[in-house]
Amino acid sequence: MSSTTTSSTTSGSAIGTTPVFSVEGLWKVFGPKADRVPADPELAALAPAELRTRTGCTAAVRDVSFDVRKGEVFVVMGLSGSGKSTLVRCLTRLIEPTAGTIAIDGEDVRAMDRTRLRELRRHRAAMVFQHFGLLPHRTVLDNVAYGLEIQGLGKAERRARAAEVVAKVGLEGMEHRRPSQLSGGQRQRVGLARALAVDPEVLLFDEPFSALDPLIRRDMQEEVIRLHREEGRTMVFITHDLSEALKLGDRIALMRDGAVVQLGTPEEIVGSPADDYVREFVRDVPREQVMTVRTAMRAGDCGGPGHPGALAPDEVVADAIRVVARSGAAACVVEDGRCLGVVDHERLLGVVAGTEPHKEAV
Amino acid sequence: MATLTATAPRTIPGALKQPAVRKLLLLALVAAILVPLANARWASGAWPDALTVDLSEPLARTSDWIIDNRDSHPLFLYFFGHISNAVVLSVRAVYLVLLAAGWAGVTAIAALVAWRVAGVRLALGTAAGFLTCGLLGMWIPTMQTLALMVVAVLASAVVGALLGLAAGLSDRMDRALRPVLDTMQVLPAFAYLLPVVLVFGIGVPAAVLATVVYAAPPMARLTALGLRGADKEVLEAVESLGSTARQRLLTARIPLARKELLLGLNQTIMMALSMAVIASVIGAGGLGDRVYQALASVDVGAALAAGIPIVLLAVVLDRVTAAAGERLGTERKSPVHWAYALAAAVAIAVAGRLAGRLDWPEAWSLNIADPVNRAVDWMTAHLYSGVPVVGGTAEWAGHFTTWVLDPVRDGLQWLPWWSVLLIVAALAWLIGTWHTALTAVLAMAAIGVLGVWQPSLDTLSQVLAAVAVTLVLGFATGIAAARSDRFERALRPVLDVFQTMPQFVYLIPVVALFGVGRAPAVAAAVVYALPAVVRITTQGLRQVDPAALESARSLGATSAQQLRQVQLPLARRSLLLAVNQGVVLVLAVVIIGGLVGGGALGYDVVFGLAQGDLATGLVAGAAIVCLGLMLDRVTQPTERRTKKGA
Ligand SMILES: Nc1ncnc2c1ncn2[C@@H]1O[C@H](COP(=O)(O)OP(=O)(O)OP(=O)(O)O)[C@@H](O)[C@H]1O
Ligand SMILES: [Mg+2]
Repeated sequence: MSSTTTSSTTSGSAIGTTPVFSVEGLWKVFGPKADRVPADPELAALAPAELRTRTGCTAAVRDVSFDVRKGEVFVVMGLSGSGKSTLVRCLTRLIEPTAGTIAIDGEDVRAMDRTRLRELRRHRAAMVFQHFGLLPHRTVLDNVAYGLEIQGLGKAERRARAAEVVAKVGLEGMEHRRPSQLSGGQRQRVGLARALAVDPEVLLFDEPFSALDPLIRRDMQEEVIRLHREEGRTMVFITHDLSEALKLGDRIALMRDGAVVQLGTPEEIVGSPADDYVREFVRDVPREQVMTVRTAMRAGDCGGPGHPGALAPDEVVADAIRVVARSGAAACVVEDGRCLGVVDHERLLGVVAGTEPHKEAV
Repeated sequence: MATLTATAPRTIPGALKQPAVRKLLLLALVAAILVPLANARWASGAWPDALTVDLSEPLARTSDWIIDNRDSHPLFLYFFGHISNAVVLSVRAVYLVLLAAGWAGVTAIAALVAWRVAGVRLALGTAAGFLTCGLLGMWIPTMQTLALMVVAVLASAVVGALLGLAAGLSDRMDRALRPVLDTMQVLPAFAYLLPVVLVFGIGVPAAVLATVVYAAPPMARLTALGLRGADKEVLEAVESLGSTARQRLLTARIPLARKELLLGLNQTIMMALSMAVIASVIGAGGLGDRVYQALASVDVGAALAAGIPIVLLAVVLDRVTAAAGERLGTERKSPVHWAYALAAAVAIAVAGRLAGRLDWPEAWSLNIADPVNRAVDWMTAHLYSGVPVVGGTAEWAGHFTTWVLDPVRDGLQWLPWWSVLLIVAALAWLIGTWHTALTAVLAMAAIGVLGVWQPSLDTLSQVLAAVAVTLVLGFATGIAAARSDRFERALRPVLDVFQTMPQFVYLIPVVALFGVGRAPAVAAAVVYALPAVVRITTQGLRQVDPAALESARSLGATSAQQLRQVQLPLARRSLLLAVNQGVVLVLAVVIIGGLVGGGALGYDVVFGLAQGDLATGLVAGAAIVCLGLMLDRVTQPTERRTKKGA
């Protein structure tokens, strides 16, 4: 859980503010004459079912805007059919967007010609797929080296590089097996290694762990967290699993029927849901694991420079409860040796119960 | 067709009956208006002369023109001529290489290839197969057939793969090709002979080209299928890494389709063998020719001596290619092994050469023709007729002809022509859509227009009789196999062998048993179609949802009730498919039956070829196409599956 603490800070030093991906008003409509839907405000405003009966079109992504910042894990989360896969495929134009703009490092993706787009896919963004998408007739090593082969690297060099990555994801000794001889978790490690091998700027994950059973899934999540901590690579992570989203995400975009209903840190999503849909969604989340002391504290002074049992503002409430319960008194919140406020029983209980006053204390 | 209605489950709810009744009523209405008109205008009875178009005149002229211009017209000089020369040259080259390798070399190379791709057991089988061919004194014809096969299979595989590639990559090509390939797959082999003879004349080029046309479709179908069936996510993953279209094709799509490609190659080889043997009628030479000549003089022994190598060739080729497909990707074969294998084979070939034993030694031949003929003579004397109580085989054939074939034929020919069309329409519409019904009726009408109404109905009567027998036997065996695992296990190898044998060889045993005539043709057709029908029936019955059976059993249904009320209705689709397959396969052999006295359309084709009267043959060939089309559409369940390969 300590990893949650470190990764759910928005102010972490690794994450810059320059956007890697910058998406603005993105639409993807499937169906006949899809172009007219985003263009016509009346059609654009229709509910999905009505849109389908009126035009025969499905708006898989509707008017989505967000930035993915350098070094962050950006999670897109939503129920099945909410348009997550479509959205992430639009980023590298595996699916051609209907309207809107996408920029990578300031360069317009939709304006790229074929060569430029291939360049983008080869070097700047690599994807990990739900069902792995491995080539069954190739060994693990050759699967991992596949991206490099596509780029035209020589056999010896690409194999050497692939072997390194294979070791990095913990598959040593399996280089010469076929995908069919691996377990699901191992296969997804190959998928991950294949994406890592091309050393992309951004990693895109489309529900990479949904096909794995819970224990393996947790292993793989830890693996992603470890990789992110070690390399600080920017990641866009698609999932339909809220706990996975909360665990991995620096920021989460919650999608429903193709639109983003809320975008924020895990704490913002859990602490201040934008509407009833989101509230219903996060109802069963163990709030003490997500909310931080920063939200729970009230103004106050700890009375003295000693700060016994001081808490950092980005520690989760669960840890604060432990400290406060042990000492039996309110604890102070200290950042850079400066006292920000205090947390006590009442405030902590309020957070857990979901009745805390929304940040007005800060 | 009677069996067809019998299999239609009686438990079908009223809802399903409704559209059927409506279709029939509509048809009756149309008939009520059109039939009196037609009757008034043209006589009833056989197809009216007024409605026929005599094609023999223009066809004969065309054929004469082609014969006259074959050596002078630029089209022949610069196009067909080159094709023809290329074919002759390549067949000749392969043949010479095979001869130069000698019997020891060929056997060794074949066995080593089999060993590398399919394992030790099949390698031994291959070697034994080839040695048997030599032992039977058939080495030279076997090599002739093999040479023709090598060229035809290579050409079919290339043509088929290219067509399949086009259909696999382009939706438009797929839509255009699919109906053509589907139709080609149901046409009897004989239908392909005449057009190529018209252009190329009788000889090896015609035989090879007919074989290519017949054998390429499965390769094309399966290539397209494999390319289209590739895992979408894998392709997406490959694309997400920035691959070019060419890279995608070469590193992902084709390798992903290799199972289908090999299956396609297997089917192409089997079809090619089947056709290469039949094409002896148009000058293919080799084993098929030996069988053909022997059958023409009712020399069963000689036919068998040439038939056994055909069967061996078929079994070896089928097993080795199938095993190669199954072993795909399980282990990597090192090129070093291949090099050793090749070196060993070459060494054996050279040794054979040095020993001066290129040709199969005369002394090692086993003459089976005479003993077989003696056995057949004995059979003719003792089993043909006059066997107490059971009669005799010839008597059975005679009875079958007088009591079944003749009445069915006379009945069909007695029916007014418009009523035949109506029956065709009704059947096709009930089982399929108005679309299939229209095609079927048009095909049947085309037969009338071609002026071969009577012989076509003769062929049709043989098909109907053979299909009825096939379905009765096939369903009974299939049901038995579905109910008893032991029986199915015992049956499977038999079916395997029977399904790989080329159509042509089925004629040999029936001639031995029943002599010549229509009844033997029907018998050969039954034997040929039976394995497929049994297999589809068994599979269909076994695939019935176990839960449905369970619940029937829990309600206390007897096993007969289970079969009648649960299994048969639920397996309806498979049973319809079995009927369709049965009809298609039966037709193919009934036509070939023209070679053993089956008469009708098949005979017209053979006669046309033998007399150089291509017009008669072509008209008969066209009628065969129409008949095949009609029979397929009449029995076509709405959903089709891949056909039997051989
Ligand atoms: N090629 C397509 N043609 C038409 N509609 C499509 C297509 N692809 C997706 N859709 C529709 O777009 C919507 C979003 O699909 P998408 O696959 O993006 O959802 P998802 O959030 O990834 O769901 P899941 O969690 O099941 O993967 C769905 O309603 C789907 O039916
Ligand atoms: Mg998805």
